[in-house]
Amino acid sequence: MAVINVSAGSQAVLQLAPSADDLANVAANVMTVPQMQDITINNSTGVFRFKTLDNTAESAVTTPATNQLSLNVVVDETTFFGSGNADVGAVIETGLFGVSSSKTKVFFRAYFSDPDTSGSKYLEGSGFISGLSPTVNMDAPVWISPVTIEVDGDFAEGEEA
Amino acid sequence: MRDTLLTQITTNLAGSNVKVSSELPFNNGGEVLYMKNKKHFYLDAEQEAREEFIKCLDKNDVEQTTTTLNGYLTVDAKNQPGDISNVVASILSANSVITNTIDNSAGVTTEIENDAITYTFEFNFITII
Repeated sequence: MAVINVSAGSQAVLQLAPSADDLANVAANVMTVPQMQDITINNSTGVFRFKTLDNTAESAVTTPATNQLSLNVVVDETTFFGSGNADVGAVIETGLFGVSSSKTKVFFRAYFSDPDTSGSKYLEGSGFISGLSPTVNMDAPVWISPVTIEVDGDFAEGEEA
Repeated sequence: MRDTLLTQITTNLAGSNVKVSSELPFNNGGEVLYMKNKKHFYLDAEQEAREEFIKCLDKNDVEQTTTTLNGYLTVDAKNQPGDISNVVASILSANSVITNTIDNSAGVTTEIENDAITYTFEFNFITII
């Protein structure tokens, strides 16, 4: 048994890139989302239930899963609106808002532990950023926004080399 | 922050019956200066408290800093300066000189000891880092 705690600050890391290849090989094109308050990975398998006359309980079959990543971040201007540098791929260039509004597919890795440590587990996949809703008020005077990645397809489990 | 506030208080009290000292309200021969030098306003050193405002998974936390300054003014309780109300209001209103805060408050309490009344001012400034 190995509990993963996030007290070191280097665990629970979300990386975004414009392609799967960038994610694996081109560090300059990868955005590590800063100042996440929380992250939730949803792998919700659908279920179809039905009743039959010869059974006293419902039967169930699974249907395709809905996969989703949701998080809350403190809005960092460069991360949110992009650096404007076209040499480092769409995610860093246009930021979270840019890839959301242009509906650009992003590739992600959600690390459960330190991405710099060999053997660290992660889930990866691709999807579309949505659900941006930056908010601020005088009681919470720092811009904060939820971010959702609507995953296209399955999560794939991986391990840092 | 203390210097800025002290400068504004000095400006606000120009022409009043109260003078502003730039010295800290330390003890001199067992007696604090504001008790010894009546009708002189003293501003204490800044007290600062930092705490996490937003915790982040990568430890780049957003911090909140609360800066507190106390000011002291003692006058004769029986024969207070005629403009004492204006003096108190002028000292309190000096807090507006501190900007870029998410919370900016000032208050005053009084305490009478023998024939002297001491006005204790408390300024609180909360900033986000």
